[in-house]
Amino acid sequence: MLDIALANDNTARLIRHGHLQHNDWRVFAPADTVNAKPDSDAAPTPVDATAVVPADEPGWIVPLTIWIAHRDALRQRQHPVAVLLSPDSKLKDLVGEDGHVDATGLAFIAIDFPVYTDGRGYSLAQLLRTRHGWQGELRAIGDVMIDTIHYQARVGFDSFLVKPEHDPEKALAAFRTFTVHYQKTYPKPPELLAA
Amino acid sequence: MYVYDPVDQQLVEQRVAQFTDQTRRFLDGQLSDDDFRTLRLQNGLYIQRHAPMLRVAIPYGLLAARQLRTLAHIARTWDRGYGHFSTRQNIQFNWPKLEDVPTILAELAKVQMHSIQTSGNCIRNTTSDHFAGVAPDELVNPLVWCEIIRQWSTLHPEFAFLPRKFKIAVSGAEEDRAAVGVHDIGLQAVERDGVLGFRFWVGGGLGRTPMVGHLINPFVPWQHLLTYLQAALRVYNMHGRRDNKFKARIKILVKELTPDAYTQQVNEQWQLIKDGPDTLTQAYVDTIAQRFTWPDYDTSVAGEPDPTEMHAAAHPAFARWLQRNVRHHKVAGYASVSLSLKPTGVPPGDITADQMEAVADLSERYGYGEVRVSHEQNLVLADVRRSQLFALWQELRALNMATPNIGLLTNIISCPGGDFCALANAVSIPVAEAIQRRFEDLDYLFEVGELDLNISGCINACGHHHVGHIGILGVDKNGEEWYQVTLGGRQNGAAKPLPDLASTRGGGAAIGRIIGPSFAREQVPDVVERLIQTYLRLRDSDAERFIDVVDRLGIAPFKENVYSDPAVAKAAPAAREVAHA
Repeated sequence: MLDIALANDNTARLIRHGHLQHNDWRVFAPADTVNAKPDSDAAPTPVDATAVVPADEPGWIVPLTIWIAHRDALRQRQHPVAVLLSPDSKLKDLVGEDGHVDATGLAFIAIDFPVYTDGRGYSLAQLLRTRHGWQGELRAIGDVMIDTIHYQARVGFDSFLVKPEHDPEKALAAFRTFTVHYQKTYPKPPELLAA
Repeated sequence: MYVYDPVDQQLVEQRVAQFTDQTRRFLDGQLSDDDFRTLRLQNGLYIQRHAPMLRVAIPYGLLAARQLRTLAHIARTWDRGYGHFSTRQNIQFNWPKLEDVPTILAELAKVQMHSIQTSGNCIRNTTSDHFAGVAPDELVNPLVWCEIIRQWSTLHPEFAFLPRKFKIAVSGAEEDRAAVGVHDIGLQAVERDGVLGFRFWVGGGLGRTPMVGHLINPFVPWQHLLTYLQAALRVYNMHGRRDNKFKARIKILVKELTPDAYTQQVNEQWQLIKDGPDTLTQAYVDTIAQRFTWPDYDTSVAGEPDPTEMHAAAHPAFARWLQRNVRHHKVAGYASVSLSLKPTGVPPGDITADQMEAVADLSERYGYGEVRVSHEQNLVLADVRRSQLFALWQELRALNMATPNIGLLTNIISCPGGDFCALANAVSIPVAEAIQRRFEDLDYLFEVGELDLNISGCINACGHHHVGHIGILGVDKNGEEWYQVTLGGRQNGAAKPLPDLASTRGGGAAIGRIIGPSFAREQVPDVVERLIQTYLRLRDSDAERFIDVVDRLGIAPFKENVYSDPAVAKAAPAAREVAHA
């Protein structure tokens, strides 16, 4: 996931509002845990992964744990961060007492698909949209494929970072793979996505 | 027969286009093996021992004559002239080429068929009673409900990537012929104060960890069927285990959470959507029901002269077939006929293209152009005039489809086994044949009476051995095939009247118990023979069936009798370690 989010192959592979854009968002991971060299004999220095936050600059996606630990401060930033949910994230950690997600100072919510066959992100998205009142941007990142974004659009995602091996133009066309659907409470991909 | 409307048709055609593109990308190297695997499985395509295997959906086992003709055409053109009916009412082709599959799917779409979700970790073909709509003991015709579930579950955006496969069965009759107790979700129609609803069983299943389902709700009113299903699936999608594929079925989640805790979570999710837009309306149910073509029965048939008894008196073979393969119909003057796909020497469930076409013709001449597929891997002509039974029998005999063994020992349910399947530890078809040969004497077979014998070539249990009165499981030890025998399994609780809900746990299904160390392949017919001899000696009367005796006396006397056989004992030491493998 991290590699993909950071990949810079000069291809516009972020689908947003029906267009392909270059992705300029990356996932923040505390340096010590990320940069420990796999071939190094030295054990990585144990650090509290939630102790640090990224600099106040554009384009940071922070894991839910960091958001929880610093959300009051993060909401005040000049450059709002996005929050990243993993498949096993608990939505109750994100929502307020009223059961809704407070959108103040939050750029968007990203849900990670570590492998496309892990379908938990679909239920998370659906619950954010239908139960927790999230009306802001909801982004699918990770193992996001030509073959998955149609389903993802129907459960409420509205931006998609297509993984490197997949042609983003074909992904954009995939919103129209099906023009008919059976499940009436899951909308068809909004027209604007396929614009 | 359900008839597609333009939306149904368009959806299937768009799925063909999607899969055609996916296959082309794979063949062009634009889609990796890993990425393609799940995508092709979700369209019923396995890569097997010899070639790809394509599993085509037969929703709730209902086939039109023209569909059967298309299956025959596919078998001839892209396969080797035959197909195999699975234990979940689908058909499998064992020899297609990957590059031909998109063309095959396009052919299927022309007759309103597809292979959507016949494999993969998604909601599979909803199965039902093969006598749905014609059984005298029916409370409601489950086919309409199956179709509602089929549509709801087809390409469901939230539940396309579940932790593991998910199978739903629906029964609308008093006797559960859909085995609701051994499905991920089993629905059994019931009536309360004049309102239709469903008993909702969750967490049954066979495979590596066989379990009988839990009744999590004794009455889900019909209006709430889809919202309740959605809640049940959502809890599973979010919390089912994904770290270990052998613990990923919903039965493990229900067990680990406890049925009560699972039910509570389902109810929490349900409250969010209950009475919402997915609530079913009478108008919608009527719309679906009206898209079916239902037989237009001729009430004057009841008064027709019926020569059946006369023929039976003159032809003992016909009398036997009547006894075993013909059932009462809800409409007087009609009967339902099972076509046995279990003659000795033919792999259970296999059917040739010629037979398919012949059956399609028979279904038009003797019925309404409809054929059912049973989970016992036989076919059913559901609406035959009694006065025509003798003529039909003669035609079926010529097709080798009149073996009078429905419900008897040689009506063996079996997976394709190691001859075809890459997963299998052992062959199953040759074992089935060896048993059939041993019990070829029809007098003896009838004397033994009702008995379900199931064979699976591996622990995935596609032959449903756990619910066979006698179950046989192929196991592997150091590259050798061995066979484990279980007794006392059953797919429903028809054995005795069930006084209350508690005792109908899982619809009365039961998982068979292992009798002891495994056997070599050549011993299996002897072992079955010993089990049968034990039964014949111990039964009260010929009204007490094999399974009834196992229920009454347990497996001990059977076990004792099998392992006291010197021939078995000789092989047993080698087998002993296998049993614990």
